[in-house]
Amino acid sequence: MESVLLPTLTKKEEIDRIINNTIDKVLVLRFGRTSDENCLLLDDILEKSARDVSKFATVALVDVDSDQVQVYVNYFDITLFPSTVFFFNAHHMKLDSGTADHTKWVGKFHEKQDFIDVVEVIFRGAMKGKMIVHCPLPPERIPKYQLLYKDV
Amino acid sequence: MATLEDSFLADLDDLSDNEAELDESDGDDAKKDEEDIDMDMADLETLNYDDLDSVSKLQKSQRYLDIMHKVEEALGKESDGTEKGTVLEDDPEYKLIVDCNQLSVDIENEIAIVHNFIRDKYRLKFQELESLVNHPIDYARVVKKIGNETDLTLVDLEGLLPSAIIMVVSVTALTTKGSPLPEDVLQKTLEACDRALDLDSARKKVLDFVESKMGSIAPNLSAIVGSAVAAKLMGTAGGLSALAKMPACNVQVLGHKRKNLAGFSSATSQLRVGYLEQTEIFQSTPPALKSRAGRILAAKSTLAARVDATRGDPSGTNGKALREEIRKKIEKWQEPPPARQPKPLPVPDSEPKKRRGGRRLRKMKERYAVTDMRKLANRMAFGTPEESSLGDGLGEGYGMLGQAGSNRLRISSVPSKLKINPTIAKKLKERNYAGGATTSGLTSSLAFTPVQGIELCNPQQALGLGSGTQSTYFSESGTFSKLKKI
Repeated sequence: MESVLLPTLTKKEEIDRIINNTIDKVLVLRFGRTSDENCLLLDDILEKSARDVSKFATVALVDVDSDQVQVYVNYFDITLFPSTVFFFNAHHMKLDSGTADHTKWVGKFHEKQDFIDVVEVIFRGAMKGKMIVHCPLPPERIPKYQLLYKDV
Repeated sequence: MATLEDSFLADLDDLSDNEAELDESDGDDAKKDEEDIDMDMADLETLNYDDLDSVSKLQKSQRYLDIMHKVEEALGKESDGTEKGTVLEDDPEYKLIVDCNQLSVDIENEIAIVHNFIRDKYRLKFQELESLVNHPIDYARVVKKIGNETDLTLVDLEGLLPSAIIMVVSVTALTTKGSPLPEDVLQKTLEACDRALDLDSARKKVLDFVESKMGSIAPNLSAIVGSAVAAKLMGTAGGLSALAKMPACNVQVLGHKRKNLAGFSSATSQLRVGYLEQTEIFQSTPPALKSRAGRILAAKSTLAARVDATRGDPSGTNGKALREEIRKKIEKWQEPPPARQPKPLPVPDSEPKKRRGGRRLRKMKERYAVTDMRKLANRMAFGTPEESSLGDGLGEGYGMLGQAGSNRLRISSVPSKLKINPTIAKKLKERNYAGGATTSGLTSSLAFTPVQGIELCNPQQALGLGSGTQSTYFSESGTFSKLKKI
């Protein structure tokens, strides 16, 4: 049923272009590599829900192994893969899911519906003018991880 | 220019020749027609015509005999189809075809007249038969078979009629008001039946002849509907140009039979199609698309008939193209609809919520509305401390509820708009009536028990069964125990 594969971005200009061109829609960028198992699970969910969400969101994948992309990897401080960053009208949206890092979503989603819920909440908040939104998922569904600060 | 003039002159000569011929035969017919009309007027006045020949004259007329003779000749020999005039009307074969068509219409009218005759005579014997068997030829056959017989079990109607109709006829014959006919009337009736069957076979012959010539007469029309149906259409319409002049909706119902339903529902299979029903295209379409197919067949065959009437396409390619078109259209109708793609979710908050109103919503809201009791409890009188559930200002306050000074007596007994369970409502009613001052004069709290005799308190009531004699028949809150439709 999913006919169109999600666009995979490898160059900095591509990322810039897509961030600037997505107007009035949430932009979902997944940072990860295709060899990772968690990443593949997340990609599967993203692909399945991309069409349903297409009226108010765009989904794209960023391959983290490419050189030009490392700028963004360092900027967003992405250490654990997969990580998902949300944008709206070229503005970075923060998501408070009870974890330490609000700037991105680390790990996979449990279900397609969870992802759609998160995107909807981000959309609603962004349309109202908020910069940070509260995650609607119950804590069991949120992947937990340990943030290492300088290997501490 | 000379040739044009010559052709005009030739046409004029032809016309005069035809007129001479027509005058001859018309003269006979005209005389006979006049006689006919006179006789008919006389007959109508007396309503008692005995002689078949006074009614049906066609078989004796010259025209009829001429044409039948020619038809038999032509059926016998192989015709040379190559020789055709540039104008259709010049072709002698076409003239014969036109005459045949006219004749077939006349024969049909004649059959109708004879059928009326038979019917009128046979009415005395078996009145209901005319409504059970509609088709005139079938009627004539059945009358011939039955004759003067009163007992229909001795008559074998197999093959003449569908078995359902045979059954109905046999049953109706048992209760018919008729009486056997006198010998001479019976003789005349049988003669008339024979006449009708003869006319029918003659008509068949004529139509067979027309059908065999159809390929050269109307190639386009026969390319679409087939030569048999084309012949029938032409025959009923009364000629190719007559058929071409008809609108397509009329062509669609040419030859539509009125079916005898005999108790079957008339809601199903009400297709308005006549001879077109017998075409190959119509037979091969699925039943759901039959009405649309009938319409398109009628439309395209009318076009083909118009082409043929003006001899625009002697080869018939136009007809074949139209047939292809019809086939393609029917195929297109049978295609499955395109598969549905799942719709993407709508943008959040883009569609405002539709708030509905109306009587239903109001009734729903009434169930949760603030009741009068609560309204009274919410208000307080000035200057008087309100009573409360736990006393002394503790617990819930009662407000104006139950105050002596308030000019409302307790709660008015307005029927609450809340819905109560019907079984609970029944129990409440019974309790009220049991305790109230106005009880039915027939209820009694005395119980007649087998052990003690009369008892004041009903031992069965403790068990919850109530008195055995306490009938529910006279109960105030009782419902109808037995409903019977009158």
